Amino acid sequence: MKAYVLGEFEREEALLEATRELRGRIQGTLDLHSPYPLHGSDEALGLPRSKVPLVALVAGVTGAAGGYLMQWYLSAAAWPLNVGNRPPHSAPAFIPVTFELGILFASLAIFIGLLGGFFGFPRLHHPVFEVEAFRSASIDGLWLSAEVEGKDAEPVAAELRRLGARHVAIVPEAQR
Amino acid sequence: MSLRTKTIEDAHALEGTPVLVGRPDDRALTESLLAPVLEPTRKGFLLLLAALMCGMGFWILSLGTTLFVGIGAWGNNIPVAWAYDITNFVWWIGIGHAGTLISAILLLFQQRWRTSINRFAEAMTLFAVAMAGIYPIIHLGRPWFFWWLIPYPSTNQLWPNFKSALPWDVFAISTYGTVSFLFWYLGLIPDLATLRDAAKDRTRRIVYGIMSFGWRGSARHWQHYRIGYLLLAGLSTPLVVSVHTIVSFDFAISQLPGWHTTIFPPYFVAGAIFSGFAMVITLMIPARRLLGYQHVVTPRHLDNMAKVILATGLMVTYGYVMEHFMAWYSGSGYEAFAFLNRWTGPYAPVWYMQLSCNVLAPQIFWFPWARRNEVVLFVVAILVNVGMWAERFTIIAVSLHRDFLPSSWAMYAPTWVDWGLLLGSIATFGVLFLLFLRFLPAIPVFEVKELRRELEHGGPTSHAEPGAAEVHR
Repeated sequence: MKAYVLGEFEREEALLEATRELRGRIQGTLDLHSPYPLHGSDEALGLPRSKVPLVALVAGVTGAAGGYLMQWYLSAAAWPLNVGNRPPHSAPAFIPVTFELGILFASLAIFIGLLGGFFGFPRLHHPVFEVEAFRSASIDGLWLSAEVEGKDAEPVAAELRRLGARHVAIVPEAQR
Repeated sequence: MSLRTKTIEDAHALEGTPVLVGRPDDRALTESLLAPVLEPTRKGFLLLLAALMCGMGFWILSLGTTLFVGIGAWGNNIPVAWAYDITNFVWWIGIGHAGTLISAILLLFQQRWRTSINRFAEAMTLFAVAMAGIYPIIHLGRPWFFWWLIPYPSTNQLWPNFKSALPWDVFAISTYGTVSFLFWYLGLIPDLATLRDAAKDRTRRIVYGIMSFGWRGSARHWQHYRIGYLLLAGLSTPLVVSVHTIVSFDFAISQLPGWHTTIFPPYFVAGAIFSGFAMVITLMIPARRLLGYQHVVTPRHLDNMAKVILATGLMVTYGYVMEHFMAWYSGSGYEAFAFLNRWTGPYAPVWYMQLSCNVLAPQIFWFPWARRNEVVLFVVAILVNVGMWAERFTIIAVSLHRDFLPSSWAMYAPTWVDWGLLLGSIATFGVLFLLFLRFLPAIPVFEVKELRRELEHGGPTSHAEPGAAEVHR
């Protein structure tokens, strides 16, 4: 059974310091929770580079290529219609829609990809919300959470207290 | 006076007023910024909302008349087939562009003063685009077939003509509306979570909780979030330029004197930013006082916005001069006549109104006192809004009413439905904006906290930022 160990830190530096120290020592997943992005949290958690730009690039190129192909197919292949004696396949006239569809696909991919893929949302309930004091994580609190095996929870909580955390709490996952 | 205080004062003199007054702690900042959302509804709000709802009723009545009677309810005729409807469309779309400029382009340029006003400006964009999108649809004549513009495999076996500017408009406006919404909502998510956690009652906790999708401020999420947000800003920047360029193509790719010119795309984009910043100032000056946002929207913001208005006003003026130069230089009698007709024709008063509002009025912003005086700012912003509407009317209706053949010349006069669609849309925009101010955080709370942190610690790209830091030292 998994458990979450939570602790609140007073200062940004103390939080990042504690993260660096715990990361190598405990078995489990560390995470930080803060009302605004913290400088240095990626490095402290040892996160790899984000794949969001790749998702955006692939979707944008797909949207633009698909947009151009659609216009070519509809105007020049499926039903060529003579309008003002312009060529059925007229590349300059296809640029606006191609561009817009590229942007549209990239933006949708970023938004849906972030929420559904990278964040795993919607997830309205999460064990960290069990702790009432955790409400401060979106207001002014700096929290550290560790997802560990149930038997490791107590030692990790003790570590957190030693590193200066307040409101240290253990949430067993079964509680959800 | 110690040397340190003196240095800070010198910095004040050089840098102007701060972008954030005082250094409140995160909880105080959250409380002050969320107060308009979490406090009980004020009487004044309800009164204002009721007044604007009456205007919205006028708008709905005008829309209904257009649907039941048809385009004949408007003053449009041949040759003036485009008049108030397309004027309103271009005007609203232009207003929307400043929101994207503030939120995206200024983000990429790392302009700190954008932080407190970007959410406000993005909401303005959304509602302006919503208003703008109505006009081309009702102008179709049979608006219930508007979906014929979307390429889908129908039994008609007909497809949109991609060589026409109308389908370009459909793609540009719908992409712009969608991307603006995504950008705005992505920025809102952390603040919705803050609202969920700061709210005292169960209903708000549930509603804002659902709207925030379960955001828990995780560093693993922030990492992707920041990059995704920056990428959306990067995508919005060329998008906003493309949208008004495509809108200007509606005119520029035709052959009508007064429309057929290559300067239109940049000139339209500059005009869009010009009118949009004027609208931000129009809305912000009352809002910051009524909602108590003076510590995050400071005279520094107003000053900077006034400078943008002055700069884009000069670009628009350059556009006017160039149009006249090209009319003369082209050697085309029709072109020359179209521009002479602006000065001496039957609609000359509109042209003089346009010149005095767009060219003369912003010149007052050369003086620093004018950029800091809220009354002057408000009045000039209103004048610019009026002037930009007049500009679009001049381009559209005044060019049309005297085309090539004198036998087809005609005058245009708006009917009450035309006025209802213009004035009613302003009221509807106001209703949407008031509801936004009441139910959503108009100032991005998490970004202001981040800004405060950067100002205190001196971020990676910071220069000395003046502030009230000395109070705490």
